[in-house]
Amino acid sequence: MSFDITRKGDALKAAAQGAFDELPIFDPDIERASRAYIEALQAEKLKRQVRYTYERVPYYREKMDALGVSPDDIQTIGDVRKLPFTDKSALRETFPYGLFAVGLDRIRELHASSGTTGKPIVVGYTDDDMDVWSDCIARLVQMAGVVPEGNAQMAFGYGMFTGGFGLHYGLQKLGCTMIPAGAGNTERHIQMIQDYGTTVLIATPSYAMHICEVGEEMGYDWAASPLRVGLFGGEPCPPGMKAEIESRMHIVCTDNYGLTEVMGPGVSGECLAARDQQHIAEDHFLWEVVDPETGEAVAEGEMGELVLTPLDKQGIPVLRYRTHDLTRVTTEPCACGRTHARMDKVRSRSDDMLIIRGTNVFPSQIEDVLSGIDEVTPHYRIIVETVGGMDALTVQTEIRPESFTDSFEALDAMRRRIEEKLKGVLLVGVKVSLVEPGGIERTMGKAKHVEDRR
Amino acid sequence: MSIRQISTFLQSKPGHLARILELLQDAGVSVRGYSVSDTGDYGIGRFVVDDVDAAIAAFEEEGIAHAETDVLCLLLEDEPGELGRVMAVLADCGINVSYSYSMISTYIVINTDDAGAATAALASTDLVLVSQEDIMRASQLRSTKGGE
Repeated sequence: MSFDITRKGDALKAAAQGAFDELPIFDPDIERASRAYIEALQAEKLKRQVRYTYERVPYYREKMDALGVSPDDIQTIGDVRKLPFTDKSALRETFPYGLFAVGLDRIRELHASSGTTGKPIVVGYTDDDMDVWSDCIARLVQMAGVVPEGNAQMAFGYGMFTGGFGLHYGLQKLGCTMIPAGAGNTERHIQMIQDYGTTVLIATPSYAMHICEVGEEMGYDWAASPLRVGLFGGEPCPPGMKAEIESRMHIVCTDNYGLTEVMGPGVSGECLAARDQQHIAEDHFLWEVVDPETGEAVAEGEMGELVLTPLDKQGIPVLRYRTHDLTRVTTEPCACGRTHARMDKVRSRSDDMLIIRGTNVFPSQIEDVLSGIDEVTPHYRIIVETVGGMDALTVQTEIRPESFTDSFEALDAMRRRIEEKLKGVLLVGVKVSLVEPGGIERTMGKAKHVEDRR
Repeated sequence: MSIRQISTFLQSKPGHLARILELLQDAGVSVRGYSVSDTGDYGIGRFVVDDVDAAIAAFEEEGIAHAETDVLCLLLEDEPGELGRVMAVLADCGINVSYSYSMISTYIVINTDDAGAATAALASTDLVLVSQEDIMRASQLRSTKGGE
């Protein structure tokens, strides 16, 4: 059977049959390079990058001098462990340009992260940085089956946020026609998809879900829509939600990982062979997984905090950036043919862990349990409060219209069953509160799942 | 003989019930009787309406969680002891009433754990069982009300 991946549905069909040769790959030489080649390349780049950083950024020179480490000590990729870590605070303390390695005359573009507290994080990109960035994006959009002929509609806001322009440049580099619609006005988005023959939509997963629902309410036929691919970012996408969007909008959806401090989106991306993982662009990023408490490396395949060292960054180099994202990484070969290491999709952060009556609880655990329960939708909200001096955890979840019955007994049994399942995983008592279908707010930005009232 | 009741999921927050009633109004559906009960967190609204199919269509379009249940409807004489008589008939047959509420005037709705046996038991008395057609005929109900 042959596939035409520009046809709606064919990319997923090809993947389901293991026909990965039918799917595009942006840079086969590097994306399918041998592990030995990748690691040798990383070692070369690391040596060069550490010297570049030491010579140009006083902040790092002082840190390395204090540790007694010189650029000459860095010869292998394992030597990265001799280097100091970088935390978000380093970028705040040196705001705005303290960590920049070049003058602003060489900076082509500035971006900033939202910075919910205090100063934002500001980063600058040289021409070469922009080139690496758009390269990384072009790779990951091709993993989802996007082709140069695609019409890509942006539903992220542009602005200082890296997501909008990052995807924009990468899709343009691939050859796509960009439709820079921006955030908001859902009905207009749907109209534009139809009018302009949009094949690729870039959105947060929760906004994509909203577009899907609004389209259904308008009577828009997603099965007949030109839309073929959803590229998600801005917030983690629960697996249940992705599958639901794929089936309701008749598209293939992938998400990618990245953070402003090391580049923006495109550090890693999801291929259609390993849907719960993402290939790290290893020629541009050296990864480590460490114990978040001790900072020591964990064994390959073990869960820990992801630490990233960009290997080509000129504008604002960072060494060993502590992402606070928990994941595990494997270098096992992937069915898609790519050799770059795969990280598990980040489901939890070392700093979004909730401590409930002394027990560690991750929102991702709650998400996993709920996605396995048919009677409720994948939307949820966690409320933590103090009741009578004790932590109380409430999980709000939406009942599906078809699982409602005219019996408090049955509804309560459903509620208690969900509570029991959650308790079994979280090991703390939980109160489940059923809300009406659509009762949990869909957001356009990062979905806020946790409300800590303590 | 039974009538069709529609129940909806009610979240305990201002405006939810009003929104459901607005949907019924927009669909031209008249509510003949209702009951709302809650658990503190969420509740169930139960409605007896003239046009059940129109109400269901409206709920489905808006994604309102709802369910249809067959319940019994009786028309009582407005005299002391009538309600007690109904319950005694059922109690004598060992039938459990899961909920009951009154509609316009002396119409009451009953849901039991055994609708067939309850219908038979009630029909063997001089109590008046009300049909779905009676519910649909607004004028009859109005005239009953008007006759008070």
